[in-house]
Amino acid sequence: MKKILLICTMSLIYLIGFGQQTNTARSQQWLDLAATAGNSQGTVAASYVYTWKIGKRKKLQAGLGARFTSMFGKKVDFITAPAKLSRSNTTPFLIVFAGQETANWDTLTVQRPFANSLNLSANFGYNFNSRWSAIFNIDLIGFGFGRKSSAILTSNGVTRTEPNAKPAGFNALLTGDLDYGNLNSEFSIKYKLNDHWSVRGIYQYLFTEYKTNTIKQTAPDGTQVDRFRSKANNFGVGVSYAL
Amino acid sequence: MKQCLSIIVLFPIFFCSCKKENNTPNTPVIEIVDTSATLKLSGIFSNGPYGSVSGMAKVYLKDGKFTLVLDGVTISNGPDLHVYLSKEISPVNFIDLGKLKSTGGTQVYDIAGSPNFSQYKYALVHCQLFDHLFGSSQLL
Repeated sequence: MKKILLICTMSLIYLIGFGQQTNTARSQQWLDLAATAGNSQGTVAASYVYTWKIGKRKKLQAGLGARFTSMFGKKVDFITAPAKLSRSNTTPFLIVFAGQETANWDTLTVQRPFANSLNLSANFGYNFNSRWSAIFNIDLIGFGFGRKSSAILTSNGVTRTEPNAKPAGFNALLTGDLDYGNLNSEFSIKYKLNDHWSVRGIYQYLFTEYKTNTIKQTAPDGTQVDRFRSKANNFGVGVSYAL
Repeated sequence: MKQCLSIIVLFPIFFCSCKKENNTPNTPVIEIVDTSATLKLSGIFSNGPYGSVSGMAKVYLKDGKFTLVLDGVTISNGPDLHVYLSKEISPVNFIDLGKLKSTGGTQVYDIAGSPNFSQYKYALVHCQLFDHLFGSSQLL
């Protein structure tokens, strides 16, 4: 775990340092603030993005970034997270299309979730013209932390209190329900106001994971489960500043 | 530039709002207890560490259905107050009978199924959002 944190931290430092030294016409750097809201929850996010323009016409862009996301909410439902219980097939990538094993799902209702994540992100874009562009970004790996909260685990009609549910500490994009932790992904349409400022309209798909401490779900196969995931569709706006 | 500054200033305001927590209604609720129902268990409420509850909890049975009656209760107000049947005073294993209807009066709550009252031996008024116990009554 320490090694992973060290690698993430070094990557972010290198990325930021490298980006500041090589600001050419073929590349761009952005600072971005975003806020989204959805059912019983919201997020704010701050990110740094370094992208390279690709192709002769420089319509495409791809790059890496670092993003800090805070998710907060009230009485948010998290469901059984381990992929082997939640999906019928756990093959990477194909898991996205696998059937949902709802019979294995229990619900952890976290009363006051507040989960933060600092992740390395991948960023892609397409410039329609000089003002409009489409942007897609997704968190890759990082770590999470946040507030402990009481939660209620509902399992086959039986309710139990978890006094100290906490956000997952390690985040990794492994596709679909194989993912670990807190991962933010956004699709947005960006409008360039001037050389520095742009605004974005955002659709966000957010994975948040909480872990129980004292109580666990007993799955039908006997597995003791302490990982629960919320998947949220949120909408919001963002402001970007080109460095 | 003014446009950009406006966006930055309005941005957090757009998403942040001060919303008061929803407290329980204060108007006393007076619900009629079916006189033909049989009183099975009862107990007197005592205060919890985070609130005060006075009055009685009573479990009635009629036609195979149990109901919990909060009889003549007065409860200090708080957000997200629920009525539980619980195995413990600090609820770990519990049945949520729903949101508290009012901070006062006589209130009837339906109990689904037939819980084992030798295990679910406490009636609680509990703040679910903050996991705070307002009051408990041992059902005897």
